[in-house]
Order: sequence, then C-alpha cells, then structure tokens
Amino acid sequence: MANIVKIQDAYSFLPRPGETLLEALEGQDIAMEYQCRQGYCGSCQVKLVDGTVEYSEEPLAFVQEGHILPCCCKAKSDITLELPQPIEALQRNASA
Amino acid sequence: MAYTTFNQNNFDATKEPMFFGQPVNVARYDVQKHAIFEQLIEKQLSFFWRPEEVDLSTDRSDFNSLPEHERHIFLSNLKYQTLLDSVQGRSPNVALLPIVSIPELETWIETWSFSETIHSRSYTHIMRNVVAEPGEIFDDIINNDAIVSRATAITRYYDNLIEGVQLLNILGEGEHTINGKTTTVSKRELKKKLYLTLVSVNVLEAIRFYVSFACSFAFAERATMEGNAKIIKLIARDEALHLTGTQHILQLMASGRDDPEMAEIAVELKDEARQIFLDAAAQEKEWAAYLFRDGSMIGLNKDILGQYVEYITGQRMAAVGFDSPFAVKQNPLPWMNSWLNSDHVQVAPQEVEVSSYLVGQIDSDVDSDDFDGFSL
Repeated sequence: MANIVKIQDAYSFLPRPGETLLEALEGQDIAMEYQCRQGYCGSCQVKLVDGTVEYSEEPLAFVQEGHILPCCCKAKSDITLELPQPIEALQRNASA
Repeated sequence: MAYTTFNQNNFDATKEPMFFGQPVNVARYDVQKHAIFEQLIEKQLSFFWRPEEVDLSTDRSDFNSLPEHERHIFLSNLKYQTLLDSVQGRSPNVALLPIVSIPELETWIETWSFSETIHSRSYTHIMRNVVAEPGEIFDDIINNDAIVSRATAITRYYDNLIEGVQLLNILGEGEHTINGKTTTVSKRELKKKLYLTLVSVNVLEAIRFYVSFACSFAFAERATMEGNAKIIKLIARDEALHLTGTQHILQLMASGRDDPEMAEIAVELKDEARQIFLDAAAQEKEWAAYLFRDGSMIGLNKDILGQYVEYITGQRMAAVGFDSPFAVKQNPLPWMNSWLNSDHVQVAPQEVEVSSYLVGQIDSDVDSDDFDGFSL
C-alpha cells in the first residue's frame, strides 16, 4: 500500500509507485532544488517532520539532523515534509 | 610533533582527530574513523574524466560570432575559473596534508586536489580551442586588477594557515622571536586558522564556483559555447562532491565528535565564519558588475546574477547552519538545476559520461537458478 506524503501547511498526495520522493514532489509541479539526484550534493534536502523514509542507497551528502534527501529515498510510512519555502513560492506556474 | 612522512610511533589512527593529531603512518583503510571520506574517494574516482573527451570544435566559431561585450563576459569568467582551480589544485595539499592525522581523510584531500588539476587542464583545453592566442588570456590573470583582488580574498586564509603550520613544525608551540619580531605559536590559534580556511574553501566551492557556472551555462542556454558548458558540467559534478566533503569536515568539527576543541572554536568563530560568506557574496556581486560592465547578455545581467549570488549564498549558509540575511527565496535562474545535473542529457552510457556508469561492476555470484527464466 502506498504511503501518503503530506506537505506541511499545504496538501497531501499519494506518490506513484517506483518514484523517488523528489520525482513525486516534482510530479506535483513543485520546483524542487536539485543537482546530482544521486545523494551526494545535498541540494534537495527537506525537513522530515513526521514519519520515516527508506533510502535506496545511503546518501554521501551531509544531511542535517531531521532532514532527508528526497532524491534517493521513498516514504516508508505516511510522512509529513516541510519544504524549504512556502509552497506558493515553489509551485510552478502552469501557464509559464 | 613535527611533521614526518612516515610516523614511526605505534598508535591507533582511529583515536586521532582529523587534524593536528599525529602525522599519519600506514595508509590503511581497513579501520576508519570517518568512513565517509573513503566513500567520497570512491565516488570521485568513478567520476574520472579527461578534458580531451569533450569536443569543442564548434565553440571557436560560436566565440567568433559573439559580440565584443559577450566575449569579455566569457573570457573573464574563464579567467576567474582558472584562478579558482589554480588555487584549489594545490592549496588543499600544501595546507592540509602536513596537519592531517587520519589516512582516509589524507587520501580524500589528495584525490580532491587531483581532480582540481583536471579542471585546470580543461581550461587550457578550452582556451586553445576558442582563441588563437591563449597566452594573452592566461597572462592577464595576474595583471587584471578585478581578478587579482579576488585572489587575495581567496588565498589569505590558506596562506595564514600554511605559514602558521610551518612555524609550528620548525619551532613548536610557544613565543618565538623571528627576524626581530615576536610571534606566538599556539595549536589552538592554528586550529582557528584551519577552521576559517575550511569555511573559506567551502565558500569558494559552494558559492564562487556556482556563480561562474551560472555564466557558463547562460551561454549554453542560448545554444552557444556548448562544448564549454559540457566541460563545466563535469567540473560542476566534481565540485558538488568537493563541497560535500568540506561540509562533512566542518560539521564533524562543529559536532565535537572528532575533536572537542574544534567544537569550541566553531562556536567562538561563528560570527567570523558567517562574515566570510557575506564578504564573498559582496565580492561576487562586485564581480558581476565587472562582467557586465559593457552590456548584458540575453538571459543574464548584473542584477539577475546578483540575485543568484544572494540566493545561492542563502542556500549554502543554511546547509552549514548559519542564518542568511538575504531575502531571495526563489532561484532566479531556474534553468541552472538542469544544467548542473550532469546526467540530464544522458543518451546511452557509452555515449556520455554518466556518473552512475561504473566500470567493473560485475556480479560474480551467479547460480544456475539465475537462468531458470531462459529457454532455448
């Protein structure tokens, strides 16, 4: 059964199976910061407020306490994330 | 103790701090204090590339058709990148190897510096392909005031540390009179110099380099100087790893897990360290003014690059636990991410340099059951 991803102060959604958390967030038209997408640069770091995630490979980047690297993990339980900025600032304008 | 190339004391390197413990003796990796550094070495080696792999044949005609002010932007940016990698190709070795105390970190420093020398060689490769007289451009790096002034800001922490470590090696701790001048050599003061040097290196790799990448990719975003952008992509991939390495060192220091005295120093120097970030942001904005002094280019000008400086500085400060004074929350150059992602244009592993394509990844544990799905 898929786990629910809740974005703090915004909405919840169900990621598609097989997607990394980063891909899932991008699928929601959220402009996430990224560079390597392999866990060594640390650009995509977000705060995990609640729940647990599972890494396909332990990331090399330094990850701050309570943070996760969505590029190389998936939700292991229902999770709540806090994006680095309010969601309005990150939402891609559909018409742009 | 003074530096020795092979420390003959019998001691446990995993009990040593990262820096200013005993000099390393056996380069062994069977037991490790901080295993992350060996993982970084492996990743860096999997990234290996040579500048000659990248074809630059269309860049010369692209360059010749650029207007004069854009040539100034392109060449100045390339000169700045050359300066940065000239510093990074030697300084970690010269400054850090004499004081490092654990073998995995020692080897990481060497691997890291080595990859910077590939970057330096690739600038020559680009210059040779783009201009008829590369010599004039290289010569200008040490004659150009705008560049020389930044070199001072970049190298003074390294130079301070190197000088202090040399005095420690020759004279040891205590008060000494050198050429009539009294100097105090203390390990704690040197640790402070080391901390500030590492912050300044992190700033160089995490902010200064990225500002220069923005300029390189701004050309490619307009479908010009694309060979150059391809090389810069490979460099950016390496730099992302290097800055992860520096962040790990800084965070290990700040946590006190490695050396409790370093944690005190990190707290003590918090304001000074934060100021290094802010000074660099101000210098990068000045540089943006110099780059675009004769005119902007499509997609990038002094103001946008300035906003990017503030944005990236804010990001990097947050990553190492500093609060940022900058209000820019949205990336003003949204196309940067896809250029920075080196695997984004992957066609097939044999056609492009794909970082995840590792040589020698063979599974030798094959059982006859593995062929159950096959039938003839």
